[in-house]
Amino acid sequence: MDEVIRVEGLTKNFGQLQVLRGIDCSVRSSEVVCVIGPSGSGKSTFLRCLNGLEEASGGRVLVHGVSVHDNSTDVDALRSEIGMVFQRFNLFPHMTVLDNITLAPTKVRGVPLEQAREQARALLIKVGLLDKIDAYPNQLSGGQQQRVAIARALAMQPAIMLFDEPTSALDPEMVGEVLSVMQTLAEEGMTMMVVSHEMGFARRVANRVLFMDEGVLVEEGTPEEIFDRPREERTRRFLSNIL
Amino acid sequence: MNLLKKIFLPLGLLALVAANVHAQTKELVVGSSATYRPFAYENPAKEIVGYDVDIIKAVAQKAGLQIKIVNTPWTGIFAALNNGDVDLVISGVTINEKRKQSYDFTAPYFEARQLIGVHKDSTAKGLKDLAGKKVGVVTGSTGDDIASREFGKTSPDIKRFESTPVAISELANSGVDAVIGDNGVIAFRVQEHKQLKTVSDPNFPKEYFGIVVKQGNKALLDKLNAGLAAIKADGTYAKIYKTWFQSDAPALPAQ
Amino acid sequence: MEPILWFGWFRADIIAEYGVMFWRGLQMTILVTTICIMQGTALGLAIGLARLADARHSPARQICRYLLRWPSTVYVSFFRGTPLFVQILLIHFAVLPLFINPADGLLISGETARSLKQNYGAFISGILALTLNSGAYISEIFRAGIQSIDRGQIEASRSLGLSFARTMTHVVLPQAFRRMLPPLGNNAIALLKDSSLISAIGLAELAYTARTVAGAYSRYWEPYLSISFMYWTLTLGLAWAVKKLEARYGRGDTR
Repeated sequence: MDEVIRVEGLTKNFGQLQVLRGIDCSVRSSEVVCVIGPSGSGKSTFLRCLNGLEEASGGRVLVHGVSVHDNSTDVDALRSEIGMVFQRFNLFPHMTVLDNITLAPTKVRGVPLEQAREQARALLIKVGLLDKIDAYPNQLSGGQQQRVAIARALAMQPAIMLFDEPTSALDPEMVGEVLSVMQTLAEEGMTMMVVSHEMGFARRVANRVLFMDEGVLVEEGTPEEIFDRPREERTRRFLSNIL
Repeated sequence: MNLLKKIFLPLGLLALVAANVHAQTKELVVGSSATYRPFAYENPAKEIVGYDVDIIKAVAQKAGLQIKIVNTPWTGIFAALNNGDVDLVISGVTINEKRKQSYDFTAPYFEARQLIGVHKDSTAKGLKDLAGKKVGVVTGSTGDDIASREFGKTSPDIKRFESTPVAISELANSGVDAVIGDNGVIAFRVQEHKQLKTVSDPNFPKEYFGIVVKQGNKALLDKLNAGLAAIKADGTYAKIYKTWFQSDAPALPAQ
Repeated sequence: MEPILWFGWFRADIIAEYGVMFWRGLQMTILVTTICIMQGTALGLAIGLARLADARHSPARQICRYLLRWPSTVYVSFFRGTPLFVQILLIHFAVLPLFINPADGLLISGETARSLKQNYGAFISGILALTLNSGAYISEIFRAGIQSIDRGQIEASRSLGLSFARTMTHVVLPQAFRRMLPPLGNNAIALLKDSSLISAIGLAELAYTARTVAGAYSRYWEPYLSISFMYWTLTLGLAWAVKKLEARYGRGDTR
């Protein structure tokens, strides 16, 4: 099936507060989709609903045709298909870089340890951190930690990677190294959904850009359509504020 | 000069009187462990009552002493006497040679024998029959002494408790096979549990309870002995004994 | 035995005379402490997790609330809110006889119960009371330790496909354990010291030995100073071991 994720009428409330007000969209295989929008527009919540870190209040999310929020769904198996990269990296501080990467493949997939380590080395080469293989997370810079976090997610060979503002906790000089890893991934054909404030990255790498505001998808299109010829007034106002 | 005399003489007299009054009203603190029914225990009104209490009150009255009874845990009762927290101890203390080395005792005020508490189905006739059994005693009591001599002072078969009621509870729950303790208390406690009985070992020596003072405190010891002699002579002693033990007081040796 | 005086006042011969008992008492104290630390930690982990148990959907949600969170909260509140000494007496003289009793024990009765009570009664009660008590305190350490772990850690682990149980064992507990080591160490030291309270029900550990010696000789410096040094040595050893553990497992904690 070409469609990796399909979202239908997704809503999410925190108590009285309506964060998502009915979102429909889909992501095809090998597509890179960037989600942009002002703070508090519900972008992160939307992303977290996709792998069930947040419960949906209504509507549904299908990953390869399986509903994420059904009680009968094996959510752990489903999540192992969906890589996620967090704003604050969330590396496991008590484990070395190598152990961070091999934990899930060995425990969830039952990959033999040697094989998992071999794969971890390959991934570390890919993100340019093989020399840090035995380091602990607190010995790494923010940019390095985020690249390890990407390698950790990739180790499960996910069908799609979700990035939740992967560069907003980084010092400016480290943003580039993380974005370039992400760009390489995209060029290799990884399916990606990226919540980001990096408009340059979105323009350069994304196939499609979604603009979200106040819990609704206001507008979607190619980067050129969104950045150069936005149809909606709200999109225009947002872009003129940040560019 | 005259004027000075007029002022200072009354002042001096006043001081003398005050000192005298002070000496007379100085309360002596009596230590007693009030977990030793019927010798000393707290009644529901939190007053310490019992045979020992009645004895010491009668003695104090005859000897002209002001006393105050303070509930002092048995474990620390001699330490309290040593460091002056209490002036004398009346708490079912058995007179023995070892204690006489460290403290002074009055004449006896109670004839004590050791008594064995056992379950009704026990066939034990005396101390020898308790070999290999678990024996409960109160730490440092005469029963502890007897058991330690018979079975070895570090024997794991001896189980030491803080008070006779606790030891008897342990016996009632079958935690020990027997409890050795002072006759007055054992007899009183055993009658509370229908499955228990007492066994008297004829080989147990007669022993006596005495009032204890710090070694060398002869002034107090003499007053107490005088008071004790007085209540024995005038029948007060016999009356108190009858009240608590429902039998006539046995004759006690003078020393 | 001839009195042996150290520094002119310390009767070393008394300690030597009861040497076997001090040695056995020391072993008993270490045994009880070790067992209770291990059992208390296991119980504390279980109770700590029970207090945090929650689920998204019914009926699991109700089960977590009424069968896990409420009972464990009441349990912790009771054992933290009542004195350990009272718990020991309650368990030994009231709860245990209900279950293990020659006459009509709910769990064990007859001759087995009798021999069990006589040989291990105080041991069982003491271990039970101390385990239940320390389990309550340790569960609070676990709860705080687990709650101190950043939610992002759990989210990262879950989003990799690790189950809740695996997230706990591989991600949360190892990190929480590092942070819990200092309070767990304090708790172990407290437990070691609290084990002395079991002497009240006749378990022959260190404090019991000291009480026995004090009871036999009416001397307090020698026995209590001796066991103080033994306890002190043990607590220093424990503190040292905890420090070693912290150094060994402390890597990688960014706090």
